[in-house]
Amino acid sequence: MWELDPGTLVTLVTIVVAGIAMVAGAITPAIVEGRAVLRALEGMVRQPEIAGDLRNTLIVSLALLETTAIYVLLVILILLFANPLLERFFPVG
Amino acid sequence: MEEVFPRVVFYIAGIPVRNTVVSTWITMAVIIGAAWLAQRRAPALVEMLIDFLRSTIGDVMGGIDPDPFVPFLGSLIIFLLLANNIGVVPMVHTPTKDINAPAALAIVVFLAVYVFGVRQKGFLGYLKELLTPMLVLDLIGDVSRTVSMSLRLFGNIIATEIVVAVIYRLVKPIAPLTMVVLGMVTGVLQAYIFMVLATSAISSAVQPRNSK
Repeated sequence: MWELDPGTLVTLVTIVVAGIAMVAGAITPAIVEGRAVLRALEGMVRQPEIAGDLRNTLIVSLALLETTAIYVLLVILILLFANPLLERFFPVG
Repeated sequence: MEEVFPRVVFYIAGIPVRNTVVSTWITMAVIIGAAWLAQRRAPALVEMLIDFLRSTIGDVMGGIDPDPFVPFLGSLIIFLLLANNIGVVPMVHTPTKDINAPAALAIVVFLAVYVFGVRQKGFLGYLKELLTPMLVLDLIGDVSRTVSMSLRLFGNIIATEIVVAVIYRLVKPIAPLTMVVLGMVTGVLQAYIFMVLATSAISSAVQPRNSK
């Protein structure tokens, strides 16, 4: 097999993990948000008089659900731009 | 890509000042100037804005009188609305893409919850409500709410900035503008979300808890 030095190996693993994590972190909130929107629309059709209330609640809860994807993104950003493991092999400064 | 992240531009008496801090000052100057101008030239506009804020905050708070909280929450959302979108001006960096700005705002909200609770119920009354078997859980909940509020705002803003930077690298002229517009929508929405979360936290602190 190839002889990879540790720095390259960590970089490679980081990139692969970042891709996989972003896919998983994007799919899950998308499915759950779709379900939330579906239920809210059903409620709006059934009771149009509370549509405004439902819309406000829907926007807030969608933003809260979106947060999980944002957390995954933040972890990936740390891995890609400020990887604490890579600094062990390429000391800064 | 490097210009997405905040960097130190100069030092004041040994304290590093980042470019996001400079643009925070610009945001503050714009808000103060606009408020001064609007108060002198168009008082009706200010009244409309305050009525709108009062009704929005009152809707979120439910049955509680929103008047004592409108100054704090209103200035929070006005600052965030401008700060999230001021990045579209050339040479000005979005203040909230630095984690310190959302974290500072979230810590202010964290303290404001206790301040408003004490002001509404008196020191001893609020202390009596806090000292329950749920004290530790309440504290953990408050701290995690602070962390999640700051990270949510920061993550949304920095994600837009990075996407714009990547698309700018691939396609130079017009294509990044679409993401800039989407980012402005996100900025407005996140400002609203931040205010709604702060409002619900404060309203849960000031409403009588031992009613059940």
